[in-house]
Amino acid sequence: MARTEAVAPAPRNVWLDLLRLGAALLAAALLQTTVAPNVHILGANPDFALIVVACIGLLRGCEAGAVFGFVAGGLVSLVLFEPLGVSSFVFVVVGYLAGRYAETADLAGVAAPVVTVFGASILGQSLFAITQFLLARQVPFWYVTTRVIVPAVIIDTLLAAPMYVFTRWWLHGEEVRRVHEAA
Amino acid sequence: MRRRAIAALLLVLSVAMLTLYFSTSGGGFIHGAQETGLRIVAPLQSGSARAVKPFRDAWNWVGDLFHAKSENANLRQEVAQLRTSAAEGLSVADQNTQLRELLHMSGETIYPQGVRLVTSRVIARSTVAWYSTVTIDVGSDQGVQVYDAVVNGQGLVGRVSAVTGNSAQVTLLTDQQSFVDAMVVPGRADGVLAGSVTGDLTLQYVDKSQAVKAGQYVVTSGLKSSIFVRGIPIGVVENVGNQDVELYQNIAVKPLVDFHRLDLVMVVIK
Repeated sequence: MARTEAVAPAPRNVWLDLLRLGAALLAAALLQTTVAPNVHILGANPDFALIVVACIGLLRGCEAGAVFGFVAGGLVSLVLFEPLGVSSFVFVVVGYLAGRYAETADLAGVAAPVVTVFGASILGQSLFAITQFLLARQVPFWYVTTRVIVPAVIIDTLLAAPMYVFTRWWLHGEEVRRVHEAA
Repeated sequence: MRRRAIAALLLVLSVAMLTLYFSTSGGGFIHGAQETGLRIVAPLQSGSARAVKPFRDAWNWVGDLFHAKSENANLRQEVAQLRTSAAEGLSVADQNTQLRELLHMSGETIYPQGVRLVTSRVIARSTVAWYSTVTIDVGSDQGVQVYDAVVNGQGLVGRVSAVTGNSAQVTLLTDQQSFVDAMVVPGRADGVLAGSVTGDLTLQYVDKSQAVKAGQYVVTSGLKSSIFVRGIPIGVVENVGNQDVELYQNIAVKPLVDFHRLDLVMVVIK
């Protein structure tokens, strides 16, 4: 597979960058709470917040991905009256691993977000299921696998490429430099 | 190393927030912070919900086109059944009026005197399978309290489970932590209606001696200790599970409310 050439990152205006990330955060939370519930495909809803967190991880690296995931998870839980901490925990893992993947993997173009969101969705949905099991809620394995995880992963993966393109355009950012290229 | 430390710290913080959330249920710093945050975010959500409504309606319209044909046949069948029921209902209503007069009973409506209905709009909804909850745009400022019943034109929607000044969380009937005292009419077989993670409703603990048939209506029983007033429509009996090895009947109930399309609801304030 062709290796992408390392590009020297242009100096960023930190405050402008934070502002853009803040807007992305708010958009992710609003999309998740007001738009996603109305989009039913295969009996499941898309997880816009998780996709945006994965995209931020890909575009800004694991540190920013983890922090963005923590704040996005907190905001979604806050808005939906859900127990604070569950979504944050899941999104920190997703943001961090997406960032690590971007820094080390050798995928280019549209494949990177699709593969990342596919993995992030499986991981995120599974972590949600495990945390709910630990919180003593019903988690019937067969139902959760076939009616929750699989449809959600399909929808999230389908939305990955367009949302990644939009997020990259919004952040005006190049992808993070891969570790082996930067070396 | 630094990046791993940050991620680990954030994970620890998440677990700490979760622990605090459950250890101080209904109060404390975490719940206070959540209330304050919601006060700020709720108007934004309300605006956002209004903005996406035309798109949501368009999406639903497309979905309706696909379902219209099969729904038409079902509705024709239902109309025929309802005409028969209406005729029976007229004679029952007449009989009921006479009996009330005889017993000097006051004319009771579904919502007794003193009850106030506050109209509100659904501004957010959980998309996680484990929580069937919605957020509405009225709260304690409008007199809403935890455990108030929430209804719409179709029937019972759920109950208020958390309140801030300008918003409230409604736990839907389909939530796995929702339990409602309900009864089957006619016949008055009563039990507890429980939600589930699959979204199915089951009327549990119905005595085996009570005869229940598919097609009968399920309404709130309004027992003295219940938070719901009597007679709020909930759903229709879909099928009756009556196995010899079980102590009670398990009755599958199809809800009257379309929980995927909640928009305007009313909070019943006692």
